[in-house]
This record gives sequence, structure tokens and C-alpha cells, in this order.
Amino acid sequence: MTTTTPTAPRAGASAGGRPPAGRAGVLRRTMARREARIGLLFALPAFLLFLTFRFGPAIAGVGLSFFDYTIGAGAEWTGLDNFRRLVVDPVFWSALRVTIVLSILIVPVQLAISTLMALLVRRAFRGSRFFRSVFFLPVVTSLVLAATIFTWVFSTGGPWSTLMGLLGLPTGSWLGSTVLVLPALALVAIWSRFGYGMLILLARMQDLPRELEEAAAIDGANGWQRFRHIIVPQLRPTLFFLAVIETTASFQIFDLVYMMTGGGPARASYNLVYEIYNQGFKYFDLGYASALGVVLFVLTLVVALVQRSVIGKEK
Amino acid sequence: MTTQVTTPPPAATPPPTATPARGRRPRRSGMEPSLGGKIARYVVLALAAVVTIFPFYAMVVLSLKPAAAIEFPASLLPTNLGTGAYERVLSAGGIGTWFVNTLIYSAVSVVAVLGLSAMAGYAFAKKRFPGRETMFWSFLAMVMVPYHVTLIPTFILIAQAGGLDTYWGLILPTLANAQAVFLMRQFIMDLPDELFEAAKLDGASEWRIFCSIVLPLCKPILATLGTFVFLWHWNDFLWPLIIGQGTEHWTLTVGISSLQQQDVPLNMILAGATISFVPIFAAYLVAQRYFQEGVTMSGIKG
Repeated sequence: MTTTTPTAPRAGASAGGRPPAGRAGVLRRTMARREARIGLLFALPAFLLFLTFRFGPAIAGVGLSFFDYTIGAGAEWTGLDNFRRLVVDPVFWSALRVTIVLSILIVPVQLAISTLMALLVRRAFRGSRFFRSVFFLPVVTSLVLAATIFTWVFSTGGPWSTLMGLLGLPTGSWLGSTVLVLPALALVAIWSRFGYGMLILLARMQDLPRELEEAAAIDGANGWQRFRHIIVPQLRPTLFFLAVIETTASFQIFDLVYMMTGGGPARASYNLVYEIYNQGFKYFDLGYASALGVVLFVLTLVVALVQRSVIGKEK
Repeated sequence: MTTQVTTPPPAATPPPTATPARGRRPRRSGMEPSLGGKIARYVVLALAAVVTIFPFYAMVVLSLKPAAAIEFPASLLPTNLGTGAYERVLSAGGIGTWFVNTLIYSAVSVVAVLGLSAMAGYAFAKKRFPGRETMFWSFLAMVMVPYHVTLIPTFILIAQAGGLDTYWGLILPTLANAQAVFLMRQFIMDLPDELFEAAKLDGASEWRIFCSIVLPLCKPILATLGTFVFLWHWNDFLWPLIIGQGTEHWTLTVGISSLQQQDVPLNMILAGATISFVPIFAAYLVAQRYFQEGVTMSGIKG
């Protein structure tokens, strides 16, 4: 970074400070063309894959929602029929409701637990690293594995129902109850993800200046007051970011539903993604499944737009 | 909910010790928790740790029990252990194949994603070429589109191309990883240009510069990103489930889900689950930092 202020007329400092006249200019143009070719060659493999498997399918996914499409039978343009069918289908509305209820059950509790754990382990003390590692372990564990073991945890006579019995509550299996199946799934989702939020919050907390908190402590603010009035305001953007990420993730829960409930009992845990899977890969009604995908996309987009406007305000 | 933060359960914090401590401490350090606070912290953390670890513990212990003995809560005591369930699940076949498939799915993807995204990241960071911005921003925009929107067209594409029940059909679509390209670009942008210019003046080819200068400098990000990609593939479920119509190309997650749906005895399912978990757990113990970095970094980017 040598700042030769008076004689720096062009940006191409790396090629030496000579003016681009005659042969040097030609050379530079040849070089630039070579650079461009190489750049394109290097970017192309990833970009082609991306066009084929992300960009193309995303557009096709929207397009397909206007067709009646079955593999083998071909496509037939049906306009908005898929969406008309969707609007009058009680299964769709119930799946939408389950998707939203699930995220309402998961996100606030999970964020609270992530925050609490981050606060508790943020300063180094004996065992703090151990606790961090433990809390992060579920994040790296597959949901299939989590679902396998939690199916047993929530089974009749299993650990959870025994615990409920000790608390004097009904001991029936939560997975078999139309009311309690979503809280049960929410618990598993929270178990598997709270360590992620904890880690993100920890990273942010470590960047916060200590002075503010110390000053407040000297002025006699207690722990709760310091948390409420000093830590939380500084964490707000991070918390908001997490809320969006986790809401999106909760919209897309599939493994747990597939493994633990199959959408039951009586469709009480049948969410949108599971309906997409069923329509697409069980009934092979791919046009209708795509229409459902579009709805999920819009739902996600709304959350993302809210995120953008709020983060934009912060900056 | 958040009130728990400063008002721990009364049982854990005897008020008599907490109150005087609070008055004394601020003068010394301001924020060191009192003795009561420390105890409360340990109690809450220990409780959370037990809840977190319990499912893993139960998985391992139950997988080592004879099928008949799985009655809660006696079944959780680590007595009367044996490897019968493992022998049976291994001899039933399948799991060995699924293990190899998972390994192929994860390892090939890691190598390919790292190579492709390092190349693209280098181009986006250090080269000027027509369409660069458009390409890059189209990558970024797609990070927002949920997986399930592209799932069906991708499935149709692979099915039409004859990719069901093949390794390439399983692997190829998952190599389009916009986040990886983005992270590589960010990292390479921070590398000083002089490093590449010097080599170029010495007449090194672009490919040589990439292999012997860019890649070695990218080691930290490659390790982090590689861990994340490996983990993601190892744990992936929906795509292998859809692509693997027969059992030969199933991954461990699909195989274990099928065991669960076939009423296989619990200890055998859990033995399978444990087998699928051991490699990840071992890697986590060794390279925890990369796991934590990889997951948080990729998450931050959307």
C-alpha cells in the first residue's frame, strides 16, 4: 500500500506505474483478455452445475406449478388449477397451520435457551469448554439419529412419559396425541439446534466491549438489569438474524416428521414439506407438489424480506 | 423465559448467600458471579448437559442390550451388555453397503465441492471477466431459495437422465453449492495480489498458480468448509431417500429409517444408529474447532 498520491492516474498499480502507451498498452490488453478467459474457465464448472441444479430447477419449480405433470405421462398446462385446488384443500390449510404452529413453538423457546446457555458459558471457567462442546454435539448429529432415539424417549412407558408420571401429569405417549405431538417434535428440534444459536451468540458476545457492563455493575445494576439493558440491545441484530434462520429451518422440518410420526396422528403433525414429499414422491403429482413448493417459497421470502428491512435499518 | 437468566431456581441459589455477595462483589471486579451464582450456573449447565447427552447415552446402552431387556427404566443401567445387536445388524447385510455409500457420497462431494468452489472463488475474487457480477449475484440470490422448491425439478431432471439409483445421480446435484463459492471468494479476496503477480512474472501457468499458491493459502478455509460439507452429506436424508429407490444406493440415514419402519427390534436400530454416529463423533472429538467454525460460518451466510 504505497500511497504515491500525485502520480497515480490509473488503478492498474500492479502492472507498474508506466503510462499505457504503445506496446505496453497492447500487452496489457492481451493480458486482460487472457485474464478474462482464465477467470471464465475457472468459474464455469461451478456455474454450470449451479445453473443446472439450482437456477434452472428454481425457475422450473415455479413453472411446473402451472402444469399437471406426471413422469411418463408428460405435462399439461392447467394455469392456476393447482393453486385453486390447493386453496380449497383442507389438507393444505392444516399443513400450513402445522408448519406455522411448529415454528411458533420452536423459535422463541430455542432462542431463549441459546441465549441462556451462551450467557452461562461466555466467560472461561473450569468446564466452560466442555459444556460448549456438549451443547454443540446435537448440531452435528443427524436428525434421523435424533428421531430414532427420541421416538423411544417419547414412547409409552419411555423416559418422557415416566417423567410426566412423576410430575403427576398424564403418561400417554405425546407422539400419539393430536395436541402434544407438535410440542414433542418441537422439543426434539430445539434439542438438536439450540447449540447452534448458542455458538453464534457467543461469538457476538465476545466482541462486545466489557466496559459498558462493568460501568453498569459499578453503578449498582444487578445481573438482570445488565442483561436486559446492556447485553440484549447489543445482541438484537444477532438475535434477529437467528430468529429468521431458525424460522426458515423450522418451516423445512422433514426428517423428524417422516421418522417419528409420519404426519400423524390424524394429520396433527403433517406439515407443508411432508405434504410436498407425499404429493411429489408418493403420488407423483409433481405439478401440485411444485405449487406447494411455491407457497413454501413465498412463506420463506416473507421472512427473508422482513429480515432485510430490519437489518437494513440497523446499518 | 428469559427471566431464568438471572433468577435461577430458588432451590439452587440459597438467598442468604446470594444477597450479601452481591453487595460485596462489585467493588472488586464488577461482574464476577457470587458463590451462589456460580453454584447456580453449574447446576443449570449440568442439568442442560445431562438432557443433551442423555439421548446419546441411551442410544449406546440400549444398543448393547439383548432385545428382551429393553424395558424402561431398568434398561438404562449399563449392565448385562453384549454386542449381539451389532452382530445381527451387521450380518443382516445392508449396513456395510450403506456405510460405504455414505462415505462415497460424503468424500466425493467434499473433494468436488472444495475444488470447484476454490476455482470459482479465485475467479470471482481475483479475475475480471465479462458477466462476473451477474454470475456472482445469481449465486447469491439462490441461497435464499429453499431446497424444497428446487427438489422436484431436480428429481425430474435426474430421473429423466437415468440417474435414479446411481452414484452420480446422488452426488452431482449436491455439488452446486452457492455458499461454498461465496465463502471461498470472501477468503481469497483478502489474500494479497502480490503473491499471484510474482508467480505470474516468473512465468507460472494459471493452473500452477492455483494449485501451488492459492490452494495452500486456502488451507484454513478449506478445512472448515470441508468439514461442513462432509457433515452435511453424512447427515443428509431427503435427497438420498428420493434418489435411492432400491436398497443398493441407500445411505446410512435412509437405511436406518427403513429399519425403523420395518419393526426391526429397537436394539438393532440403535446399533445401526450408533455405527452411523461413531465416525462423526470421532471426527468431532478430534476437529471440534472446524465443526463449530464450519457450521456457524455457513449458517451466517444463509
